Formats: sequence, C-alpha cells, structure tokens
Amino acid sequence: MTVPTAQLSHLHRADGSATYSQAGYSVVGAVNGPIEVQRRDELPEEAAIEVNIRPAIGVGSTKERHLESILHSTLRHVILIHNYPRTLIQITLQIISTPEDEAAFGKHSSLSVLPSLLQTSILALLSASIPLAMTFASTVIAVMPSGKLETNPSVKSLAQASSVHVFAFSSTGHLLVVESEGSFDMDTWDSACAEAESICCSPKEDGDQMDDDASSENLQTFLKQAMEKKVERDLRWKQQS
Amino acid sequence: MSAPATVTTAPVLSFPPPIFAKLSPSPFLLAHLKPSASNTPAIRPNGRVPSEHRTPTINTNSLTHGSGSAVVRVGDTAVVCGVRGELLLASNIPHPRRDNADRSDTEISDLGLLVPNLELSTGCSPAHLPSNAPGTLAQSLSQRVLSLLQKSDLVSLQDLEILYRPPVTDPDMPDETPETVVKAYLGLYIDILFISLDGNPFDAAWLAVVAALRDTRLPQAWWDADREMILCSDSVRESRKLSTRCTPIASTFAIYMPGTVQQRRSSQESWMLADPDGFEEELCDETVTIVLDCSKGNTSGILKVEKNGGGTVGRALMRRMLSEAERKWHDWSSALEVTDAV
Repeated sequence: MTVPTAQLSHLHRADGSATYSQAGYSVVGAVNGPIEVQRRDELPEEAAIEVNIRPAIGVGSTKERHLESILHSTLRHVILIHNYPRTLIQITLQIISTPEDEAAFGKHSSLSVLPSLLQTSILALLSASIPLAMTFASTVIAVMPSGKLETNPSVKSLAQASSVHVFAFSSTGHLLVVESEGSFDMDTWDSACAEAESICCSPKEDGDQMDDDASSENLQTFLKQAMEKKVERDLRWKQQS
Repeated sequence: MSAPATVTTAPVLSFPPPIFAKLSPSPFLLAHLKPSASNTPAIRPNGRVPSEHRTPTINTNSLTHGSGSAVVRVGDTAVVCGVRGELLLASNIPHPRRDNADRSDTEISDLGLLVPNLELSTGCSPAHLPSNAPGTLAQSLSQRVLSLLQKSDLVSLQDLEILYRPPVTDPDMPDETPETVVKAYLGLYIDILFISLDGNPFDAAWLAVVAALRDTRLPQAWWDADREMILCSDSVRESRKLSTRCTPIASTFAIYMPGTVQQRRSSQESWMLADPDGFEEELCDETVTIVLDCSKGNTSGILKVEKNGGGTVGRALMRRMLSEAERKWHDWSSALEVTDAV
C-alpha cells in the first residue's frame, strides 16, 4: 500500500496550494479566489469556477478537458459558490510526476490520475480557506479478472484489471463522483463501491477501539491530519517556546 | 347613485406556458413533476413521464463519400456520424511491436486506429457558437467516445489489418511456410457532427457511432509485392462489412432538485429524469451515464458508469437506473436491428 503524502500552503504567491502524492502520481495545485472575473465568464448569482489541468508532459488534450469538466461539476457542488457572486475561483493543477511504467501500460486511461487530482483540489481549496459545503475523498479500485478487489492498484494491475473504478465520497457520506470502465456487473460495482466507501469515509463511531491501521488508511482522517498539521504550523507564533 | 353598469373584473395576471418556462424555469418544471392535484400523474414539460426516454430515428448510409454513415435523431437532437478509412503502413510505425503474444487487445488504442472527433460548433444550439474552436463540452465528449470505443472492444483488430503471406520462394524446402505479416492497418476516422442539440449529446452521439460502424463497409485491400504498395478494390461486391462485436447503448439520467441551494441541502426531494432534453439539462447539476451491453446473453454487462455533479444518487438509486437502462437498451438496440434489416 502506498501511503499518500500531502503538503499544504507551500506556494507563497497563490491564495492556497497543496501537493499531493500517491501511487506514483504527484500533483501540485494552486487556488486563487475569489478574484475578479472576466466580464464574459461572470455569473450573476454564483462564483465562476475555472479548473486548469496541466499534464506532466506536453500540452493539455481532450483527456485533460474531460478531467477538468469532471472536477468542475464536482467542485461546483462542493464550494459555496452562491456566497461569492460575480467572482472567480481559479484552480490550477499541474501533474508533476506519473508512475515510471505508465507509458508501457494504460497510457490512454484517464482514470488513474483522477483521485490524485480530486484530492489535490480539495486540499488546495482548504489551504485557500474557500468556504466549502463539504470535503471529499477519492480513491481508485481495480477489479482483477479473478474477481479480487485491489485497492491502490499499481499501473500493471490497472492494465490487467477487468474493470477500474474511481469513487469520490463527500464528508457527509454521499457518493459524489463515479467513473467506472471495463466490463462488470452491478454486484461487482456494488462491492467496489462499498470498499471505496470504507476507504474514503471516516469510520462510524462504534466504540473507542479504533484500529490504528484502519485510521491511517482512511482518507478522510488523512485529510484531517494534513489540515491539523497546517493549522499547527500557522499558529506556531502563539506557542510558548 | 347606482354603480356603473359595467363591472370591470381585475385583469388576471397569467402567462402562457412558454413564457412561464422562460421566466422561472425551475418552478415550471417542479409544477409538472409535482402536480397540485393528487390524481394527475407527474409528466415532464416535454410530455414524457420521468423515466421515459425518447425513441431514436436512425438512417444509415446517407453519405456517399464515406465508408459508413448514420444520421440519428433523438427528439430534437440530431447527429450525423461518418466513418472513413485511411491506410497506415506498418513500415511507417516508428516502434514496431516487440512480440505477437498479447498485442491484439491494446493494439487499436496503441496505434490510435480509431479517431473520433465530435463537432458542436455547427450552430446546433445557441450555447455553441458556430465556427468557434471546440469548447470543453465538445472535447470532453470526444474523449468519452474515444475511451468507450477503446474499452468496449466494438471493433476487432482483425478487420483493420491488411495481411500478406509471401509466396514460397524455395521449392526445396516445402516445410518452411512463410509467416503471414501485417503490411498495413486501416485507421478509422469517425466524425460526429451535431446538426441540432436538445439535450443528452452523449447518448445520441454514441448511438450514431454504433450505427455508423455497423453500416461500415471497408474495401478489399491487399499488398502488391511487385509495386510494394497497398491496392484497394473499387468493387462494392468485394468490400467486406466491418463486424461489430457488441451493441453498447448509453443511457443518461439527470437528477432534478427543486428550490434554492440552501433548500436543496436540507431537503431530500429529487427526481430522476431519463434522457433529459435541453431545458431540463440546464436545471439539473447531477448526471449519471450508464453504458450497457446486454447482447451477450441476458446478464447485464456494464461497460461504463459516469456520475458527477452532486451527491443524490447512491447505490440503491443506481440499481433503479440500471433497470431503466436495461429497458432502454432493448428499445434502442431493436431500433438498430430494424435499421440493419432495411
């Protein structure tokens, strides 16, 4: 299992920024907003959201546009856009590294990078203190031909998998994003969805015996820990030496 | 002392439905979905019940200069799709295949033999200005069509390969039969043009792609060893039909939630609208697309699920959508069969 790492507010000229790395992917995100919007993009009742995704190599293509549109519709639901009418919230995501053997396998699939992009965007938005209705966490699950579910699949198992599923769950426990492709039936999808839910959502409060392993694997907890670390650093000046 | 004889009634402020729809679209749709009289059924402004999809009209082989074509009309959404073959010489491929073992499943995507392009800037709707550069929606749709073409195995590689078996040169060694080599590939350019757009572009575009590919006839092509080039036959009789291995059908659903944003967060009231039209699409944030292929037996094979824009659809609702999508698969695939029979 690859442990995700995150670094928040490390770019000084953006309102908020984050770097998130997992499973060979590393993405830098910067958020600016609410800022002035171009007349043509201005929306009278809500903030316009602009998502820019830059690939690790070359210029963006249709694949990046598709990912941008997924992120855009998700973030529109998450950010309290109606609090900032006639402004712009700009999110720029630069993929800085991809798994080494990616070119050899699924170079056409856009799914494996999507969780990292979603995670980076929410961390960067939190770092920019943009008011949000909820946070979310996202993960990818591969279903192998044997029927086994693989969490955090490697590039090789993504290529061999019979179906690949990306899920994002909100902090309120709702299913926000699904991107599944391959060949599968409803029961497979259901079990993959349940597995993703256990990874993304914080465990139900059922007693105090929280497993240490379980909490470290949990992405909602991870998000909380990353934020705690940032707040702790921000309030350093208050601490007595 | 008596009042004037003519009694003037206060003019009632009322609008005809189209003006009501323009002025306040969301309450207009809500009034249809949630009628005040309890015995009236919920019917969308376009006359369909919430889970009803539109019936497609398919015309194939209408373009003369392509290998295959289809015109699909779903309500007021009309799409033209044309398929054109182009040769890719194996000698022009920069990195030849290392081994012949398991190439066939990724060869089509590795070489980029299927090239879909979707055009919305044709004046199909006021939202897409004609002769503009392709916008985010057009590019995103192109990408979705491309990834579905690659994942669904619709076209088999054998149909696109042009093989050549060299003649036996050495009569002394009859055992040594020369190996068959791939001399070239036929790449397929799949161009999708929207003539008119009234909601649900993906379902219509994908149906047009499937119909056009089912209609495609590729010319007989062979490697001419003397001239060292690929020759194609003019004769239609010698051309062969492209075989499609499955019949995937896309079903899109939109989730409508009434009220303002604050109300939406608290209330759980929502409607699932199958095959949304342009008016409904503007009012719905959350959409779900399910691509099904039920052609292999009765078990529903899902090829793709896409969902974004909100958090209403959970696992239970997804199952309901799947059964609706299965119903649509039977309707739309029989429309394809009817077209083939003509």
